[in-house]
Amino acid sequence: MANLKEVRERISSVKSTQQITKAMKMVSAAKLRKAQDAITQMRPYADQLHRMLVNILSNLEGEANTRFGIAREITSPAIVVVTSNRGLCGAFNTNVVKQAIQVIKNHQDAYDAGNLSILCIGKKGYDGLKNKFPNAKFILDYIDLFADLSFDKVSNVSQYLMDAFNKEDFDVIEVCYGRFKNPAVQFPETDQFLPVPKLEKTLGDNSHKADYIFEPDKETLLEHLIPSILQTKFQKYLLDTHASEHGARMTAMDKATENAEDMLKELKISYNKARQEAITSELSEIVGGAAALEG
Amino acid sequence: MRLVVLTPDQEYFDGDVSSVKVPGTSGQFEILEHHAPIVSALLKGEVRLITSDGEKRFQIEKGFIEVLNNEVSLLVQGLSE
Repeated sequence: MANLKEVRERISSVKSTQQITKAMKMVSAAKLRKAQDAITQMRPYADQLHRMLVNILSNLEGEANTRFGIAREITSPAIVVVTSNRGLCGAFNTNVVKQAIQVIKNHQDAYDAGNLSILCIGKKGYDGLKNKFPNAKFILDYIDLFADLSFDKVSNVSQYLMDAFNKEDFDVIEVCYGRFKNPAVQFPETDQFLPVPKLEKTLGDNSHKADYIFEPDKETLLEHLIPSILQTKFQKYLLDTHASEHGARMTAMDKATENAEDMLKELKISYNKARQEAITSELSEIVGGAAALEG
Repeated sequence: MRLVVLTPDQEYFDGDVSSVKVPGTSGQFEILEHHAPIVSALLKGEVRLITSDGEKRFQIEKGFIEVLNNEVSLLVQGLSE
């Protein structure tokens, strides 16, 4: 049987751990709300951009081709891995890393030739991949992006990727990130960032077919519009991952607090048992002693 | 006419205006009441609105404007006062 002092110490240590997990849960809940707000605030802008694209496409005759849509033979792919900077958020980062490993395996030939680049945003992705793929080129210029998720900062990265794609440094760019569904559900997802999948003209036949004036002309407008849409898309990857991280941490910390509660219950029972035992043995000693005196 | 100014981070303006002047790719132009539907890319420059409480100016890095049915949407990046 564990002795009294030992049990008491364990109870107090579990209690303080529980306080920490509880606090972390609260902090994540607050940050999650902020992150979700950021997603909602971007939505009108993104929707409107998309509507403009639809307008242009539905008025365009012939193929909608831009330099961002050119599918080249894949010799040097780039994978963007978006994870969080910190742990203690359940399997969230592991899932994204697993997803990334899967994607890298699809480009095995390029990897063997040493032409595969991995751009890491968030430290955990780099930690999880650096030992597994020593042959890949790691790009770490933007690893600390999560410190400031303003649109301007993030568009530096998307601009860099677009430039690299146009210079043919990268032939395909895929992004692995944590898609945010709701605070309790996030899942890893891989999205092809560039080249842009073929622009579907069919998505354009609805009520928008007004007789627009296009300034300067549809093709140039499309050339301007696509980068903006891509920047918005990239921003969304980051905002999603950010919200997912906090959602995952909230769930993980909630579970941890619950587990601590269960543990405390068990410890309390064993503490009481130990106390009872001590009292019983003390009593029997006294009784025994008194009996001996009376003799 | 109704004008909405959107940036990626926020909705900057939503209200009635009588005139919007924007820096288009082929020169500055002004949108007045009942303008024909237009979509245009915008360059770095100044946007000027005339509302019922007077004039309002701000700088943009780039953006787009769309006019349809007397509703103007202005999508801009790099907005500063």
